[in-house]
Amino acid sequence: MLRRAFILCLLMIFALCSKTYGQAYMTEYGHAEFDSSVPLHSFTGESDYLVGKINLDDSVVDFYLDVTTLKTGIGKRDKDMLETLEAEKYPFAEFYGKLTTPFDPEKETPQKVTVEGEFTIHGVSRERSIEGTLEPTSEGLHLNSSWTINIEDYDIKPPGILFYRVSENIDIRIEATLKQTEK
Amino acid sequence: MKTINKQLFAVLFIILLVTSTVYGQMERKQVQTDGPVQDVFWAPTLITQASTAHLPAGNLNSTIMHSFGVATQRPLQTFFGIDNVRNVRLGVDYGITDRWSMGIGRSSLTNIVDLRTKLAILRQNQSDTQPVSISVKGDLGIVTQENERPIKDDVSTLVSAIFSRKFNDHLSLQVTPMYGHISSVSVGDPHSFFAVGLGAHIPLSRRFALSAEYYPVISKRADNTKNTFSLGLNIETGGHVFQLFFTSTEWHLEQYVLATNREQFWAGDFRFGFNVNRVFSIVK
Repeated sequence: MLRRAFILCLLMIFALCSKTYGQAYMTEYGHAEFDSSVPLHSFTGESDYLVGKINLDDSVVDFYLDVTTLKTGIGKRDKDMLETLEAEKYPFAEFYGKLTTPFDPEKETPQKVTVEGEFTIHGVSRERSIEGTLEPTSEGLHLNSSWTINIEDYDIKPPGILFYRVSENIDIRIEATLKQTEK
Repeated sequence: MKTINKQLFAVLFIILLVTSTVYGQMERKQVQTDGPVQDVFWAPTLITQASTAHLPAGNLNSTIMHSFGVATQRPLQTFFGIDNVRNVRLGVDYGITDRWSMGIGRSSLTNIVDLRTKLAILRQNQSDTQPVSISVKGDLGIVTQENERPIKDDVSTLVSAIFSRKFNDHLSLQVTPMYGHISSVSVGDPHSFFAVGLGAHIPLSRRFALSAEYYPVISKRADNTKNTFSLGLNIETGGHVFQLFFTSTEWHLEQYVLATNREQFWAGDFRFGFNVNRVFSIVK
């Protein structure tokens, strides 16, 4: 009897593992960028170190970015940005949530999806609903998404001097192709 | 029986471990990079000397460089020299790659138009396996003010190699061996000049930094000329770098700084000047 239970448990592990890993997609080199502006001037920060995982079986969506990899093209500005974000203390911007709309991995067209979960930056988490598109391709799952945050919601003080003050609204875009993973 | 129970618990434990690993958040790992040291200098020009700061590819830096009359000569009548605008250089530089830029400018003094280029040979990196940055710079100036001279006598050139190191967040230094040539000089004065430029950049805060530069000419110098010294305050606003300075020279071109400065900074013969640097991202 117990021997049967033991075998059953082993089968459960294999079943669980194969089911869980079978529909997981991951990237370590996704693209993330943001647009920000000061009066009369806008600039873009970019990184190609976006790490993300989408598990279609349990709908979990997990993304994070090492903010120190963001580059705006001017070293001084990068340094100011990281000091403003307190990057040594809070090195990651991250999203952890779930797909809340249906997605058909067999249909090879861009499909609008919505994820709901926590977006965290500067150590502050806020519940967010974010829209994007997912497209199954021969290379994997292609993701596009964009949203806007108000940095004051995340206790980030817009840096500035005199009349030069960074806008509190930041547009964020991410794009990545996630490959099927067996991890 | 007990052994089998233990095995069962072990299996259940593994199930819990596996499921928690699979469904939990990924472990957050920071990216290990070894890029160039950032923020060695705040602008491609320290005060008048080129620095090893380079424009990223696709970025345009516009500069307005001003120098006024000597502040200590008839200071009240000229409001410390500010009534006498001596030289204004308007220019743009463009980053063709992250290591190579080209630029053009025009100085109001004798209407010199100059073309210049700067190339980063080596860049100090974060792991310090490359401890210094080395850039080379070339500048070709042509006097466009009407005169009777043939055009070959209107030409001036500069070639320099810039060695810099950022020691910490509060100090960057550079040494710049340079060669300048002026085609048209006063009788008896040399046409060519060698100097070893020295520069320092001392950040005081995120927004403010002091800078200083010195031009000791080590070759034969023109009559009555002095080594140029400048002392400046940099203000970084996020979009602009303002550089306010006191200097002995009225020139913003290094070859003319070497060849023509007749003021002695330490004797009080200095003038006020300022540079405004503004970077535009042209190509993303």
